[in-house]
Amino acid sequence: MLGKLIARRLALALLTIVLATVLVFVALQALPGNLATQILGKDATPDAVAQLTAQLHLDRPGWLRYLTWLGGAVHGDFGTSLATGDCVVSMAGDYLRNTAVLAGITIVVGITLAVILGVVAGLTRDRLPDVLISGVALIAMSVPEFTLATLLVLVFAVKLAWFPAVVTDGPDASLRTILHNVPLPAAALSIVMAAYIVRMMRTSVIDVMASEYVAMATLRGLPRRRVLLHHALPNALLPALNVIAINIAWLVGGVVVVEAVFNYPGIGTLMLDAVHNRDVPVLQYIAVIGALVYVVSNLLADLAATALNPRLRTPARAS
Amino acid sequence: MDATPSNAHEPAPSVGPESIPSSIPAFSQRVSRGISRRTMLFGGAGLAVAPWILAACGSSSSAASSTSSSSSSTVGGATTSATGSTAVTTGAAGTTKSGGTLRIARPPASTVETLDPASSLSAYEYLGALYNRLVKQDASGTVAPDLAASWSVSTDQMTWTFVLREGVAFHNGKAFTSADAVYTLQHILDAKTKSPQAGVLSPFLDSSGITAKDAKTLVVKLKSPNAEFVSLLMNYNCYVIPVGSAATIGASGIGTGPFSLVSFKAAGKGTVKANPNYFGGAPKVDSIEFTAIADVQARVNALLAQQVDLVAQTNLDYATAKTVTASSTATTATVKNAAWYVMPMLYSAKPFTDLKVRQAFKMAYDPQEVIDLSIHGLGTIANNNPVPPTDPNYLDYSVPHDPDKAKSLLASAGFSGSQQLYTSSYEPVMSILAQAYQSSVKGSGLDISIQTASADSYYTDVWIKKPFCVSYWYTGRPVDQLLNQIFRTGSSYNESLWADSSFDAILDSARKEADAAKRKQYYQDAQKILVDSSASIVPFFADRIIGLSKKVVNYKEFGFEFDYVNIGFGA
Repeated sequence: MLGKLIARRLALALLTIVLATVLVFVALQALPGNLATQILGKDATPDAVAQLTAQLHLDRPGWLRYLTWLGGAVHGDFGTSLATGDCVVSMAGDYLRNTAVLAGITIVVGITLAVILGVVAGLTRDRLPDVLISGVALIAMSVPEFTLATLLVLVFAVKLAWFPAVVTDGPDASLRTILHNVPLPAAALSIVMAAYIVRMMRTSVIDVMASEYVAMATLRGLPRRRVLLHHALPNALLPALNVIAINIAWLVGGVVVVEAVFNYPGIGTLMLDAVHNRDVPVLQYIAVIGALVYVVSNLLADLAATALNPRLRTPARAS
Repeated sequence: MDATPSNAHEPAPSVGPESIPSSIPAFSQRVSRGISRRTMLFGGAGLAVAPWILAACGSSSSAASSTSSSSSSTVGGATTSATGSTAVTTGAAGTTKSGGTLRIARPPASTVETLDPASSLSAYEYLGALYNRLVKQDASGTVAPDLAASWSVSTDQMTWTFVLREGVAFHNGKAFTSADAVYTLQHILDAKTKSPQAGVLSPFLDSSGITAKDAKTLVVKLKSPNAEFVSLLMNYNCYVIPVGSAATIGASGIGTGPFSLVSFKAAGKGTVKANPNYFGGAPKVDSIEFTAIADVQARVNALLAQQVDLVAQTNLDYATAKTVTASSTATTATVKNAAWYVMPMLYSAKPFTDLKVRQAFKMAYDPQEVIDLSIHGLGTIANNNPVPPTDPNYLDYSVPHDPDKAKSLLASAGFSGSQQLYTSSYEPVMSILAQAYQSSVKGSGLDISIQTASADSYYTDVWIKKPFCVSYWYTGRPVDQLLNQIFRTGSSYNESLWADSSFDAILDSARKEADAAKRKQYYQDAQKILVDSSASIVPFFADRIIGLSKKVVNYKEFGFEFDYVNIGFGA
């Protein structure tokens, strides 16, 4: 039964990814101009544009170009960048690594922080720690990530000079340089991301702590620690899981904005440039990765939910 | 697709920082992010520290008010650069100590930017450090020798002879000769190079007309007379590269300039080191480190956090400039009249087919009010003349603001007074200007409704398509190029589609005229026609405010010129 569920989810995931690439492709067709007009500029003669358009195969019908791309993509061939002529996969490699470092740190720090703070807030409902945590979370939720990023730069890079304000190296920066630069962007993303999860976690902990089975466990004389870790937390995490998954997916968009503020050479930077250049293969590759992150994080959240929820985990028993 | 911008100002971060190019369509192309940026030429003016910083020095009013009162027709040189040097001394000039690494933040032209100067995607800030042109612009806006020691033109204005500088070597040791000069010009004209400057030169120049008479003499035979040809070689696409280097120059960067290339990565980091044998004298700093930062706010943050010493090609908005001057480590400097703003009235569309309506629209607004509202007065009133007051050919002529006359002109033209004006968030001043104009013309019976179009397609769907819109250009092109490219009948950049055969004839006469004084008269006649009857409202020139570290001295920038030799750190 679980196997069937996973297979169904995987098929849906695949469909989601393909639909995402179709949408990106169609959206790009709707934008005015193409790479040929980009390269040649306004002074270009119509002849020159037509010639370059043909050279780039941009004169073929959209559906044919999409199917050609899809044919390559299923074999792992994502084509070459229209702007640079480099293989898309290797070109995006460095950018992806940098974003993976940033996102990875953000997810680990953000989620850990959010879960701990959420639980503390839930357990101290309406008392000082809760008021503080909830208040700060509310503010963090309301502030857009680029504003927060700018504030962090002003305080920690300009005033205190603890961290660099921007990354001065390109995508091929050494891992050391990237790690040196990652604290501020990761902090900006973690804070915004954590804020949502904290609120969710808090509500959920309050609900669970008020539930009959927790009261029952407490009344049975179980130590508070055991009540919390074994009975309350797994159930409190359940509703938060989907919020976490959605936030990881949000990260895909959030990095675009935050990377720009920090001049961070990640996938967001690459994407902005590719949009500007109408560089379809690069954008399609990024779309596939974005969709992949989205469906995988949702899939993992569902699996984790199954693992945490005894009712979903165990086949129905005759009662 | 759209235009390209450079970064004069950038869109609000909420849009997603650089997704929309932020700058100004330059002349040559409004195409890719890089292009327009590079295309920017700012006018040949000096620098002045931003007026509000100067308040303490008591000269602020002179800087700001020179706008409306710049009366002399030969402005430029003297006045402006005098102001400039005073200001620089106040802000950031002094004795340079030798050595050090200057760190410059720059907006990348594109992910595929190149060091080929002729390309539309060249990494602009490197060019002046690595290369020289045959001629450069001096502070008064006139043509000065660089790799060409002298030049002369035949009486028919068709054959130009350049005597080249002796004893100049490229960074790889090879001597510079006329073969390199010939090759450079042919490279620009080569269709494969796709150089924006080819469009400017090709109407009167073929590759076959470029020859080397001997090792030190370059001869250029034009197809049609052009007395201003030499001024077109000041363009930043015209930097000289070694013969046969077309395929490699984009990465090698071998030139004759004050710095030689150590490393370069497109849209990344790069370093150039001082060329001790530079014919113009060894540079003050040991090396320059260029960092590409796409987002304008990130560039400013890098300056404030002292990660860079200078933010190149970036116009700070008023609020940001105040933040920078308030910091303990950074300050600002101003490049006067760096861009001009324009509202083209489509000559082919109603109501602008009628001269009376065009004149009414120009007379209807109060120039002082519009410049104050749009850019806090940090610029110069243009009086509908796109030639900057610093240009040696400038004509000081204006038709005064006159709401009553505007009303009667509109009435006699039978025009209702309602008109849509298009703008976009492509560049921040554009929309403010639209609102300033809207409010300023109310008293003249004009009812302007503002239509905000998408920034991404503004230069494909609105510009030269809608009857009335807002746009802008970088200042600094030689007057011949400016007038021929944007106002001549049928030119691809003629954004108002205006057509006036007497205007075109004057430009042709100027190109044929050997006498510089008579030529200047022609250009001034042409400017008078523009002010009186063109289809372009040109309210003002706007200054560019750049940010730099307080440690940097002798920063000097105007036109296409950036002084890489003398810039350094204070002792």
